[in-house]
Amino acid sequence: MEYIAILIVTVLVNNFVLYYFLGICPLIGVSKKLDAALSMGIAVTFVMTLTAAATWLIHRLVLEPFGLPFLEYVSYILVIASLVQLLEMFIKKAIPTLYKTLGIFLPLITTNCAILFVALFQAMRDYGFLEAVLFGFGSGVGFTLVIVLMAGIREQLELSDIPKPFRGAPVTLVVAGILALAFMGFTGLASA
Amino acid sequence: MIIQSAALMGILGLLFAILLGFAKRRFYVEVNPRIGKVEEVLPGVNCGGCGYPSCAAYAEAVAENGESVDLCVVGGSETTQAVAHAMGVEIAAEDKQRQIAVVFCQGTSEAAAFPGEYRGIPDCAIAISSQDVAKRCKYGCVGLGSCVRACPFDAIHISESGIPYVDAEKCTACGKCVEACPRDLIELHPVDHDSFVYCKSQDPAAVARKVCKKACIGCTLCVKAAAADDNEGAVRMDRNLAVVNTEKYTAKAEYGKKCPTNAYTTRANVVNVPPASSEVPVR
Repeated sequence: MEYIAILIVTVLVNNFVLYYFLGICPLIGVSKKLDAALSMGIAVTFVMTLTAAATWLIHRLVLEPFGLPFLEYVSYILVIASLVQLLEMFIKKAIPTLYKTLGIFLPLITTNCAILFVALFQAMRDYGFLEAVLFGFGSGVGFTLVIVLMAGIREQLELSDIPKPFRGAPVTLVVAGILALAFMGFTGLASA
Repeated sequence: MIIQSAALMGILGLLFAILLGFAKRRFYVEVNPRIGKVEEVLPGVNCGGCGYPSCAAYAEAVAENGESVDLCVVGGSETTQAVAHAMGVEIAAEDKQRQIAVVFCQGTSEAAAFPGEYRGIPDCAIAISSQDVAKRCKYGCVGLGSCVRACPFDAIHISESGIPYVDAEKCTACGKCVEACPRDLIELHPVDHDSFVYCKSQDPAAVARKVCKKACIGCTLCVKAAAADDNEGAVRMDRNLAVVNTEKYTAKAEYGKKCPTNAYTTRANVVNVPPASSEVPVR
């Protein structure tokens, strides 16, 4: 039951993009087309899940026993960067077509603040291993959900008559705000 | 504390370095080095003029599947030579005639009849599907700039008179605007050929005259002028429209001297007013 609660909270209630406003850069940059947005979401989900697992191990097995919690940021960034590199190599070898679709977005995930937040948050909340992995996975699914919704809306926006100063990123931020309002409706569904 | 943290980060870094080093060897993918070489000499604008979605895709096709080396319209013969060189083949320096996009409509806001103002979605294809809200002429340019938005080189703009203006310097004949125009008004022609019948109207004379002052009314005077100049075939009739053939012939400007509507004219006389700003018009 607790695990389901974590999933619901991270995907819907405390959605990374719409509640914490993290990962806005890819949200605006990669939400122009539906299929690209979906690929980006899947890649982010994958990296988030792996990151949560890896950073949990480092936090519990290395940083806590040695009493060096202040190294969190540095070591997590190191972990994330290496993981993304590893993932990139693996995908390039195993699934070349997916590698081509993701293109530049894959290495760019390294600098996605939402990923670092997953790593820091699971440590802050003292999650167990499975909880941490679910938290990472749920965050990724939440990100995917929002970026895909956003891409769908933006494909429609392309055809509408938007005042000049609002075109592009500004109207996307406005839409994100309205989406966030809509997602407020999920508050109370479950709590972390 | 300092030593501890430095050692920890050092060990972590070393571990990941070893892991990545192994992974690099394990997941090594052999890439044809020629792909990179070919891609380097391509313009890198991903215009799609060669028929491939990107320069990288074209480079791969050349290196891997033996695709022809002279498909890049943007780079012209220089790029063709460079690509051939990268592939290790020598080709004779053939001077390909540079082409640019030509817009076959003179239906400016002055010349053409408008039933009213179009206030819908600013897209040519959509305007056309909404029946007669655009321009009276069923064949003419609606001037909503679908070609402008399609151009990757900022070479085509809507002039103040309401129809597209092609910047001959910037145009690379990639063909994006040709595809974008829902009325097929844009064609690619050699850059130094500038006498055309700038009209695509198939309307009979009575209708054509009513909807546009500059429409071709199919009087065949230019066809006769060409025939009299021992150049039969340079201008042909296609039902109610005279068409200049640039493939084998060179049509001269004087064939249009007698043209009653000035549909037959030279490029300089069509839209010689470049747009004031490079903004895409809203409608």
